[in-house]
This record gives sequence, structure tokens and C-alpha cells, in this order.
Amino acid sequence: MELILPDQVTKETFDAAVEAFRLIVGEEWVLVTNEDRETYLDLYAPGDEAERRHAPSGAVVVDSVEQVQEIVRIANRYKIPLWPISRGKNFGYGGAAPVLAGSFILDMGRMNRILEVNEDLAYCILEPGVGFFDLHDYLTENNIPLWMSIPGNGWGSVMGNALERGFSRMPYGEHSNSICGMEIVLPDGEVVRTGTGAMANSKSWPLFKSGFGPAWDPLFMQSNFGIVTKVGFWLMPEPEATLTMRMSLPNPDDIGWLVDVLAPLRISGVIPHNVGIPNYMGSATTTTQRHEWYNGDDAIPDEVISRIMDRYGVGWWNFAITLYGHPQANEANRRVIEEAFKPHTEQEFSISYWKKGDPGGAPSPSVYPLRIVNWHGGRGGHIGFSPILPATGSEVYDQYRRTRNLYTDHGVDYSATFYVCGRHVINVNLMLYDKDNRDLTERTNNLFSSLVDASAVAGFGEYRTHLSYMDHVASTFDFNEGALRRLNESLKDTLDPNGILAPGKSGIWPERYRRGSQ
Amino acid sequence: MIRFTVGLLLLFAFPVLGEAESGSELFDHRCGLCHREGGPGTFMLERRLGEGFAILEERGALSEAYIRQVVRWGVGSMPRFSRGEISDPELALISDYLTQPVDQD
Repeated sequence: MELILPDQVTKETFDAAVEAFRLIVGEEWVLVTNEDRETYLDLYAPGDEAERRHAPSGAVVVDSVEQVQEIVRIANRYKIPLWPISRGKNFGYGGAAPVLAGSFILDMGRMNRILEVNEDLAYCILEPGVGFFDLHDYLTENNIPLWMSIPGNGWGSVMGNALERGFSRMPYGEHSNSICGMEIVLPDGEVVRTGTGAMANSKSWPLFKSGFGPAWDPLFMQSNFGIVTKVGFWLMPEPEATLTMRMSLPNPDDIGWLVDVLAPLRISGVIPHNVGIPNYMGSATTTTQRHEWYNGDDAIPDEVISRIMDRYGVGWWNFAITLYGHPQANEANRRVIEEAFKPHTEQEFSISYWKKGDPGGAPSPSVYPLRIVNWHGGRGGHIGFSPILPATGSEVYDQYRRTRNLYTDHGVDYSATFYVCGRHVINVNLMLYDKDNRDLTERTNNLFSSLVDASAVAGFGEYRTHLSYMDHVASTFDFNEGALRRLNESLKDTLDPNGILAPGKSGIWPERYRRGSQ
Repeated sequence: MIRFTVGLLLLFAFPVLGEAESGSELFDHRCGLCHREGGPGTFMLERRLGEGFAILEERGALSEAYIRQVVRWGVGSMPRFSRGEISDPELALISDYLTQPVDQD
């Protein structure tokens, strides 16, 4: 990838900044060859144009908070936009790549120390580069009975995923909620600690979220107000036992009553985790390729859907509920759940058990779901559209119909999961493509834009999105003619007057780049 | 009384990945997630090239130049690896490991 300079930066200034970076981290950790730039592109971008539109100019690899501070100060001096990454595995949302072309990647992957694990109070303190596999290996090898909540793609950073508000189907599955206390390098290079960590000798930094006065942690999630260099992170104590209940439902219409049954059980705490309800597609996309089923340019028809369901023995919708705790409590909650389902289906749950001491209790990270990118073959990629809905059957069913019709209109295979998270449902809609199939990537992009617009009209915004759609999604948060955007911009300009930190992240542009970006 | 046993053991920052890993260990940690049995890389290679080409450690015929090309520039839907994640010296060790002759027994 040839050099693309950031807007408003000359080659002379860029070269001077690169030299200054080298003095901080050493020659070998400033990566500015064509090959280096290639390695930080968003491989799974929806099309080659999207990949190039978000190309970085280089990367600087740091291994300490002091180095982060120095790099930030240099970036201010030369007005070089930085794009901080933890492990750069934010696949489907942009990978390691920046919003603004020419941004310089600040790669914190080598800051991968597990600074503390406390078994009794069930937390750890992590640096950005610690991956789910790393933490899992550490807990396992040291026989520490704490469980992690792990997202579908377990390759990424624990901290990075939580800062992007990743989630899973585990208790502790709202990963941003597990963050307790942050260390942040502000855009001017100053280090600040939040919560009670603001006391130099704090003993409760990873234990109590709020501290004294305003609480800042959420402001550094999905934002560009600072670079998080440490987090306190809560882990789940190993339960006495688990009881898992599985069911598959045969019809698309079942999603309505299913959500109406699950939501109150989740809100009241009978179900202690977000319940994911995927359709049939995952069974096929993780184990086969599309041409084995169908060769048309339209979305796979109902006949193929039936064959997929038959071959894998799955339903139109499929879900699992796991109860965690004392076996007697689990059995009692199982009965409550079974009673709630009785009026709607004659099916029985398939039940499985685990108890302390049995193998296979703690969830392990996996990259298995990444197999989906092979669905169309070629240079496969994926992107996800994930609006937040009220947890009511009628709203969810309407959104299912709206979404599936748009998929059909654009000739894209419908692959969806509804996560019942309590009062809200997150609806992850997956789009798979082969980047060499230009027609398909264009249809995918058109579908994505249509979904953003149609969902916004219905009153639903996304919880997280790909680099290419951050402005579009931000524009749908339009109360009082975009008052939230103006508030974000005020904060951005105050904290980062030179506009050096992740311009465009979540649709937040510093004053310097604002004109023309809106 | 609250115990801080584990915390005390970790008062000194614990690097997740050691500095002196062998080619085999590096392959295991950086590549094995996808390129061992059942991984997405193995799955895709089997689908695209056939069963005999699915497990990288059994290929033998791989060259250092080809490995570098794939790791840094990507192939198909395999994510690329920066020098920040796999340094050149680490990549050389992985290449040495993967290009060793395969025992045919």
C-alpha cells in the first residue's frame, strides 16, 4: 500500500514526525513501508474501495504508557492524526484500520501484560494487548477459578472489545459493564486514572466504579477522547454448577412470542445472561460454501433454507439458556422457564448439566466463527448491522420482516441473531461477501445503507458499526438537530484542540477536520 | 480475611508472551488458533486446495518467501500480520519451523 498522507499534513512534516517516533520506540517499531501499511488495512472491508479509503500511513508500536505519552506529544507537535489499536482484531468493524486515511496507527499490541489477577474479589488489571486467549491460558495454567465472558471472535483484546461494548451470551456478557477503573492518556499526553484510581494510593481502583464526583469511564468507550492504557476488569467466579436448556423453533414467526417469553425472564433475573437467537445460517456458513447449496445471484430461497435446516437438524430460530449456581436453584429456575414456555410450544427443552470438577465448564475462546468468511469463497469478508430494539415481540417481528425484505431486495443471504438482553434486544445482521465479486459488495453496501435508514425511521439506532458507516449511523442520532453530536464535538475540541486522536471515530470529528466531513 | 495471593505473585508485570519462544511455540501461539485441526485456516485450505494441503505443518513444500508473502500481504480471507504482531525475527523462526522437511513415516 503506497503512502497516503493525512489531510493537512505535508510529506516533510510527516517525515519529521516519523523520525521523532523512532527516537522514542527505536527504528524497528516504526513501520512505514508499503508492506507495513498493507498489514494494517481492513481486510474484511466491504469492497476494495472501502479498504483503501481507510488506509493508514504507518504504525508505531509501543510497549509502555510512557511511550504512548511521548508519541501523543509528538503527534501534537506535528499534528499527525493517531489511530490507537489494542490488538487490531475488530473484524467486521474495521480491523486495525482508521476512519481517516493517512492516520498513523498507535499499536499497543505489545503492551500485553496481565498486571494483576485477584481470585477473591474476582477481577484483573489488564493492558490493551492482552487477548482473550492470553487471559484464558493464564487463568487455566494457574488454576484460577474465574470465568471469562468471550465474544464470538475470541482473537481480539479483552480491553479493546469491552471499550467497543462487545458482548456475549455469558453472565458478565455486557463487557463494558465489567470495566472498573481506567488509566487513560489524554490527547495532550497527560495520564489520568478514573474512579478511586484518582487517589495515588487507592486500594479500591478495580472494585468501585464511580469514585468521587463525575464518573468518566463511559466517555472513553467508542470515543476518541483518550487512549485507555489499563483497565480493571471483573471476572465471574466459577459457579457450583450449570444447567443448559436448548430449543429450536421451526417458523420465522416464532421470533415474536419467543422474545415476549424471554424478556421478562431476563429482566427479572431468572435468566442470568443475554440469550442469543441465531437463525439457521450459521450452521451452513461455518461448515460449507454457498455453491454447495445454491448458485443464484438472489438470496437463497426457502427451498435451500429447508435443506439447511434438515441437514443440520436446526430450527429457523435456535437458542440456549444456561443457569449458573447451586444445582437446586438451577432446577427451580428451570421449572419457572418451562412453565413460561408451556402456553406457546409442546416442545421439550434439551437439557445438559455441568458441575464443579467436571471438564469443560469454563468457556474457551475460539476463532471458529471466522470460518463464515469462506461462504462465498475468494477474498471473503463480513460486516454486521446491529440495531437496538425494544424487547417486545411485535417490534422484533416487525424489524425481522423489514430487515429480511431488504436482504431479499438486495439479493443477500439473510443471517441474523436476536440477542435478548433484558429491556432491549440487539439484532446482529450479518452480511457475507467475496471482495472479488464487485456486484455483491455493491449490493451489500446498498443494503447496509438502506438498513441504517429504514431502522432509523422505525426508531432504532446501531450499538456499534463499521468505519465506513460511522458518520451515517451518527447522523441518525438526530434529536434536537444533532445536539449529541455538538456536545461530543465540544468535548472533543476541548480535550483535543489539535484534533490528533482518532478523527472520525463514532462520527466525532475534531474542528480541524469537521468541514467537509459532515 | 481477604487473600491477595495471586495478586502478590503478579506484583511485577507479567508479560503474556515470553521473549524467547521457539518457532514451534510461535506457530502455536500466533498461527495455531486458525491453522490447527478444526481451525478456520485449516477449514478454508481444505475447501480450496484439498485435504492434503489443509494442515500447514504437514505441507513441507512451503518456502520462506511464500510464507512472508502470505503473512504480510494476506491471501484469500486470511488476515495479514504486521511486524508489530509478528516481528521479522519471529517470522523467520516460524518459517524455519514450517519449511523443515516433513517426516513421511
